[in-house]
Amino acid sequence: MASSNARASKKRFTILLIAIVAVGAAALGYVAMRPKGGGGEAIDPNMPLGTAQGFLMGSPDAPVKIVEFADFECPACAQFAMLAEPDIRERLVKTGVASIEFFVFPLPSHPNSWPASNAAYCANEQGKFWEMHDRLFYTQDLWNTQSTSNPGKKMKGYAADIGLDADKFEECFDSRRHYPNIKASGAEAEKRGINETPSFIIGGKKYAGSLPYDEIKKLVDAELVRVGKTDTTAKGAK
Amino acid sequence: MLIAAVALVGLFPAMYLWLYKLGVVGTLSCKIGGCEKVNTSPWAMFLGQPVALWGVAYYILLFAVALAGTSERFADDRRVSVALVTLTGWGVLFSAYLTYLELAVIHAVCQWCVVSAVLVVVMFALSVVELKANRK
Repeated sequence: MASSNARASKKRFTILLIAIVAVGAAALGYVAMRPKGGGGEAIDPNMPLGTAQGFLMGSPDAPVKIVEFADFECPACAQFAMLAEPDIRERLVKTGVASIEFFVFPLPSHPNSWPASNAAYCANEQGKFWEMHDRLFYTQDLWNTQSTSNPGKKMKGYAADIGLDADKFEECFDSRRHYPNIKASGAEAEKRGINETPSFIIGGKKYAGSLPYDEIKKLVDAELVRVGKTDTTAKGAK
Repeated sequence: MLIAAVALVGLFPAMYLWLYKLGVVGTLSCKIGGCEKVNTSPWAMFLGQPVALWGVAYYILLFAVALAGTSERFADDRRVSVALVTLTGWGVLFSAYLTYLELAVIHAVCQWCVVSAVLVVVMFALSVVELKANRK
């Protein structure tokens, strides 16, 4: 009797485990097969490669060059832009210690990063890349893939907010003429072995993740020592 | 038996987050926001590997030990109960550390991490009950 009870209990347990595996595997299969990002605009995989362009802030002759690869829709990139970057600009870029060169790197999981990058490139045509860069990161939750399937509408609004010529911006944005350049920028990131965002190259070394200001400052100081420009820190970078 | 079933349930959220890190899954499904912020932060890596991968390995190990405990051979073996309490106790501590990072450092909460933390606490409670029962 006890033995048959144990057998029945074991059988129920086995059925329970099979049910858990079936439900779990089906759920994982569903999310893995779902189109990445759940929407967004279609990107032509056969699009030709344009030119990879970095957007520079600061002096081209600054002793330390911080190269950043970021995705406008990546939350960690927004965190970096809002928390660490203001201090980097104020204390390292304005003081001439370092420059920032920004490359867009739209990840496949963030379809709206393409129109956002497009908006930044189009703003650059009117000399306002960084204004659009800031606007995009500070409002990320309003235009990301989870929020809207029409991010262009938001971005055209931002163009007006930051004082761009609306007609010129709209013509540039709708033409998608910078998409090959955005693709080239992503290819440049992959060529340099970047596989997550944000990632930084400082003094030839790669660093991944949303680094706080203090960490960036340490890396910049180490690079200043390496290039023999330690006196530059005395100018005001703290 | 229940611990093995719960460990098997926990394996799937961990696999989901790991597939996201591998790029197989696109945007994370997240009802209470912050999943991507947490999983793309520097703290989503532990000893050079994604925390999600450690989670997958942890749940597989836990499932294997708990499953072994259901076999007749180990039915009265206290060592299995001790191993389960130790493993789940470690899981509770590590989950507490991750929850602290989410709340105090990253300032974002990942719902899948919360699910995992709750499951680990449940398994710890079940393990303690089982260990006490094995003492008798």
